[in-house]
Amino acid sequence: MDSNTIRHLQESVALLPVGDLATVDEFYRRLFELAPETRPMFKIEMDQQAKKFSDMLAWVIAHLERPHELCQGLRELGARHSGYGVKVDQYAPVGSALNWMFQHTLGDRFTPEMEEAWLEFYAFATFEMERGSREAVPAGPSATLNSG
Amino acid sequence: MASGRNGAKVGIYPLSLNTAVVNHHLDQALNSPLFRNAERQSRFLRFVVDAALQSPPATIKEFDIAVAVYDRRTDYDPRTDPIVRVEAARLRARLREYYEVTPPENMRIDIPKGRYVPQFIPVEAKAVQGAPDLSILVPPIRSLSPDPDDQNFCDGLTEEVVHKLAQDQRLRVITQSAAAWLEHREGPKPRYLLEASLRRAGAEIRLTLHLMELTGGSTQFSNIYQGTTSDIFATQERLADEIRGDLSTALRIGAGGERIH
Repeated sequence: MDSNTIRHLQESVALLPVGDLATVDEFYRRLFELAPETRPMFKIEMDQQAKKFSDMLAWVIAHLERPHELCQGLRELGARHSGYGVKVDQYAPVGSALNWMFQHTLGDRFTPEMEEAWLEFYAFATFEMERGSREAVPAGPSATLNSG
Repeated sequence: MASGRNGAKVGIYPLSLNTAVVNHHLDQALNSPLFRNAERQSRFLRFVVDAALQSPPATIKEFDIAVAVYDRRTDYDPRTDPIVRVEAARLRARLREYYEVTPPENMRIDIPKGRYVPQFIPVEAKAVQGAPDLSILVPPIRSLSPDPDDQNFCDGLTEEVVHKLAQDQRLRVITQSAAAWLEHREGPKPRYLLEASLRRAGAEIRLTLHLMELTGGSTQFSNIYQGTTSDIFATQERLADEIRGDLSTALRIGAGGERIH
């Protein structure tokens, strides 16, 4: 990712309402519309899930210029998701819902350049998560999608 | 050639390779570990390649891919569900990684950004037959100090070095992430390993670099670079430029790409 991409990512997140979990609710609402089969994977309360998602987004933005830590964190996230039973193909609707969240919340302020930046980042992030999942040991049946 | 943000219209590239060669290459790619577990992206790739191989080549729209590959209904609206754009970005990344670990022998498939019609690019035989093996594994540069800022500097420097080296198309630069794949892949391993570590005293930094041949472990080149942390980006860029220049000399790459003995 070049500095322009990083700047667009940072600027788009800076435009989101601070501490407003309703924005994240929009993400999950859209995700479950696009991929209803993912709904049973989320076994904790959705307000907790929204908080975790929000924290993850903040963590990503804070680590964009620390590629070593960012890659490591994404691989660990991928390893956990592998344990929850998430397949490679299920990353796609998540990216679509993420894009929707920005479009829906920011309207015209979500520029084509910002969308391009998120597409690029999401491709990078899910690839790192895949790498992490390939190295992961499958989790037991009690695993739930409770982070990220 | 027109293209739109939503892929409403895309252009057609002329075929320069015959269908059998393209299909054989596609089958090889789809049978690789990188694609085997990515069913939808494999379908995506096959769909656009098949469309491009039609005579005359079919125009490929975002809508067509959404319906044919992602089971979207005919009222699909790419403005509210950008799944094809999301997946296209991921497919491009997957192809990049595939060719990083599996250097193409006669062609490669490229899906240019903003379009869905693939390009079939012949790889010149000269690049693979009789050319010197200039593959270099570049792991992250290590910081020898416990300060996390130093590791961040090293991460940025690694990125810069990879970027500079990759600009020389005679080199095959393999990053640490690709190396994990190479461990599970039959075939030639990288010839060289570029290993570097950083020490810092105040604002002064010292980077020790070794270029080693993996088979036998002999050191081909070694150097110490100095700089300051006063302007991080400028320092990273300067060091990366120096390293690239030194490696070109060490590998004795001639102007035409031939290794000079």
